[in-house]
Amino acid sequence: MKSRRFVQLAMALASLSGFPVNAAQTQSLDPETGATTWQTRVHGVTLSLTQIPPDPARAFYLNRGFPPQAVERYATACVFTTVLRNDAAPGELSFRLDDWSVQSEGRTQPPTSVAAWMDQWRALGLTEAAQIAFRWAQFPPEQEYAVGEWNQGMLTTGLPPGSRFDLIARWTVAGKTFEGKLENVVCAR
Amino acid sequence: MSFVRVETEMKRCLLSLLLAGIATFPVAAAELPPLTHGLTPIAEPKPAPSLRLTDLDGRVHDLADLKGKLVVVNFWATWCPPCRREMPSLERLRVRLEKHGLVVLAVDVGEDADTVFSFSGQLEPAPNFPLLLDQDSKAMQRWKVKGLPTTFVIDPQGRMIFRAVGGREFDNPAMIEALLALTPKQ
Repeated sequence: MKSRRFVQLAMALASLSGFPVNAAQTQSLDPETGATTWQTRVHGVTLSLTQIPPDPARAFYLNRGFPPQAVERYATACVFTTVLRNDAAPGELSFRLDDWSVQSEGRTQPPTSVAAWMDQWRALGLTEAAQIAFRWAQFPPEQEYAVGEWNQGMLTTGLPPGSRFDLIARWTVAGKTFEGKLENVVCAR
Repeated sequence: MSFVRVETEMKRCLLSLLLAGIATFPVAAAELPPLTHGLTPIAEPKPAPSLRLTDLDGRVHDLADLKGKLVVVNFWATWCPPCRREMPSLERLRVRLEKHGLVVLAVDVGEDADTVFSFSGQLEPAPNFPLLLDQDSKAMQRWKVKGLPTTFVIDPQGRMIFRAVGGREFDNPAMIEALLALTPKQ
């Protein structure tokens, strides 16, 4: 009993102090922005999520010509800067965001798709320039990375601000599927 | 608080955000992923798609006119953090290899000349290669770009021979050596 308590306490302290939550995952806080980054390196691939709080997200899209109601919808949809990088996978990897999972409170769903957002922007009559900026600021819906290749882009989970979730990213190399998991990630408020 | 007042407060808040000039992709400064310096060979080189766009001064640049040169085509946008970080290294690459027959073309997606011009003035060194405007993103689609930045190397015969997805350090010695070996005047 005592040893179990000790393990629980150690894990709680580890998560508070920024030490790895598990063997591969790290968590760090940027003192300048207050944003937290969760990162893991698994199977030669680096995956990270960095919070984008609603205000910086609002500013970015207002500056791209988005109307306030569209900005509000996106900025409060749990936005992250996402990086996936093939550092040393056993070959060229490929992925589709539709194959990734966001697990929160017993529910599992893929991240909100870029296509779903684009449908909304078209329905709202956003300018072509605003739609183009949006499309290319998002993390790619599908992509291939040889060793050394990577992208950085925005990703939304669609969860309310403050929600906690696990992200499971999936990719294939030569027909074999690999997974990377980030646990206990928190949507910015 | 009345609805009108809430709306006014919201507008004031949004205006202050606009005035703050936070125009770039919001990213934590301490979490910048490292730029890499490798090029990915394209297994079966094939002719590059067409690329005919105007620069910031309205001059037309056509890739077809650059046969015989080694051309680096970089797709980017001013708000894209890795694009911003790699741009000075592209200029340093141009300075090093232009005399060997290397040409750099940077294709901005979805932005106007004023936006690109004001951004380029902030760079050190400032780019001295053509900054082309792909305002409707049609060129990017033709080149099957899936994410920014993406760079292609076009050989003197006009074939795509290398790609680089994600930010690069183009003046890294390994990168310069690799590109120098491909130039028409080694």
